[in-house]
Amino acid sequence: MNPYGPVAIYLCVALAAALLFTFLPGLLGRAKPNPQKQEAYECGVEPTSAVHGRFPVRFYLIAMLFVIFDVEAASFYPWAVQMHALRVFGLVEMIVFVIVLAIGYAYVWKKGGFQWR
Amino acid sequence: MLPMSVPLIDYVALSSVIFFIGVAGVLVRRNPLIVLMSIELMFNAANLLFMAFARAWGNNAGHIFAFLVITVAAAEAAIGLAIVVTVFRTARHVDVDDVSLMKG
Amino acid sequence: MTVNVTSADWYALAPISIVAITALVVLLADLFAPKHVNRYLAIVLAVLGIVVAATDCKAAYAHDFAAFGGAFIVGGFSVVFQEIILIAALGSVVLYGAIGKDDRIAGAIALMLWSACGAMLMAGAGSLMTIFLGIELLSLALYCLCGLADRPTAREAAFKYLILSSVASGFMLYGMAMLFGASGSVALADLTNPVLASNPLLWIGGGLFLVGISFKLSLVPFHAWSPDVYEGAPLPVTAFMSVATKAGTLAVFARFVYAAMPSGVADRLLLPIWIVAGISMIAGNVGMLAQHDLKRLLAYSGIAQIGYMLAALAGGTALGMRYAIFYLAAYTFMNLGAFAIAALISDDAEQGSRLANYRGLAQKSPAAAALMTVFLLALAGLPPTAGFLGKILILSTTASAGYVWLGIALIVGTAISLYAYAKIIRAMYQRDEHAHTHAAHPFVPLAWASAIVCCVAVVVLTFVPPALRDVLPLVR
Repeated sequence: MNPYGPVAIYLCVALAAALLFTFLPGLLGRAKPNPQKQEAYECGVEPTSAVHGRFPVRFYLIAMLFVIFDVEAASFYPWAVQMHALRVFGLVEMIVFVIVLAIGYAYVWKKGGFQWR
Repeated sequence: MLPMSVPLIDYVALSSVIFFIGVAGVLVRRNPLIVLMSIELMFNAANLLFMAFARAWGNNAGHIFAFLVITVAAAEAAIGLAIVVTVFRTARHVDVDDVSLMKG
Repeated sequence: MTVNVTSADWYALAPISIVAITALVVLLADLFAPKHVNRYLAIVLAVLGIVVAATDCKAAYAHDFAAFGGAFIVGGFSVVFQEIILIAALGSVVLYGAIGKDDRIAGAIALMLWSACGAMLMAGAGSLMTIFLGIELLSLALYCLCGLADRPTAREAAFKYLILSSVASGFMLYGMAMLFGASGSVALADLTNPVLASNPLLWIGGGLFLVGISFKLSLVPFHAWSPDVYEGAPLPVTAFMSVATKAGTLAVFARFVYAAMPSGVADRLLLPIWIVAGISMIAGNVGMLAQHDLKRLLAYSGIAQIGYMLAALAGGTALGMRYAIFYLAAYTFMNLGAFAIAALISDDAEQGSRLANYRGLAQKSPAAAALMTVFLLALAGLPPTAGFLGKILILSTTASAGYVWLGIALIVGTAISLYAYAKIIRAMYQRDEHAHTHAAHPFVPLAWASAIVCCVAVVVLTFVPPALRDVLPLVR
């Protein structure tokens, strides 16, 4: 079988599902529009301002710290998988890694990087 | 080279498409965050290539390299965000073309 | 493939580890030491770390050793480059100590040391992975350092550097992926396999790799970032990166040229680089003529100087490698010296490095004017400075390797540059009633010391040139 066969089937199914759920309600349901139904949220609060607002800068700071610690944490997985093969060498390596990370963490903490202001 | 269910050339083609989407994004888009994303795209195109070749040659170095690139790209993204925030903290809107106090 | 890591491998990394650990210690000291000693502590610790690393580094000079299965190769070549990078780091740390802001000094010095680690890693890199790691460590720290000054141009410089340099890294990485695909190995040594000579992956990958290298070296079509970044970055950072990025990238390039290509490929693949080097010599020096700012002027000067160094490598000869390293060492001292004087004059204030500030300098401070004259003469390549000797040596080796046109470009470029340098020297010795220099800073002696040491080195290197034996880059 062509290696792309499953991909083609997957694409077809996805497309069919998307089309089905887009057009089926229009065919089956009865449309009786009124002003209330036309609102963006039928039973919620109307948006009061543009949705593409600006985020406060502090979100970016959190995002930044998250990205760093998130990916550094991902570095543990290869070590965890090979932990027994790497023996003491791997353990010492990871401890050094964590110490370096901890110093960075301490620096951010002490300099007020985690303060929500 | 080891046999692969999907031919190697397909991976190369896909990764070069991704790479050029990244390059085009850097050249065309003016939003610094999108430019940073396009740079990530370039890195990840290279990652895909590393993975494909690592599988083809049966050499794990490609996997390790890709992992290294992911880590570096995260650091780069973080620094990029920090710099974008400091540059545009005072600016009203965010556009790469506005950054032109100096003419190279 | 299994690599048995022994203690010898770790010893090979000792100088880099020392510098990296010093940076961590500087950060910790900044957190826990009382506020008023911070500044002294950061400088003293950093200088101490650099000196220890440099002493330790020296030991490997005569012993070639491929650590970590060939990923990091120590020997004469890597030691010389690492020492040059350490000297640049030392000079810049001292300058930062002289004029930097108190509250950021520890962070800045730590970043500078890490950046130096990256460049040192590049000096010994024997595999694509090590090269990438070194380049990114060098660049990531520099992006942050560029934005440290308190002026809008600094942030703009950091942003431009980040975007452009990352794109270059992207190209380089993609090239590396293709090289990996061609040879099936990340080791540079495996790229010499003659089977690869006809492999399109090697050609495309090598080309993309060289595009990245040209960008980091700021060769002419990819040079636009460097004047802006040099202008915006804090002065000591500019001094550091003008030397460290060039040294690190030149080391990678030299290893690639000398030891990582199948025979027959080098001539054709590298020809564009030599052409670009020739254009850089001319264009860099022409660009200097229009500048009104010392940092920008030195950026254009650097574009031309890297062209000279590449010209030495053009023949791929052992002599060429030695002369390129000699010129790099000379350039390190004259550049650091010029930046030290700039720090004395302007204190890195906004607009402080305008050339107008140098008018009538000889009246205010004859010593500073004299030192600056020496550095400018050296940059221009006039006797009795190391710049002169370096250029003569490069000229001889380039011409005898059959690249006469590169030699001609070098001479033309030098002739153009003479005018630009002479303009500054004349301005310094003009009488000017409105001359003002505001060098009033507690740590100015540090900048003076740095300038004097550099001046001595620039002159001494001319008369006692180092032998630089066994500096050919190898791969295992």
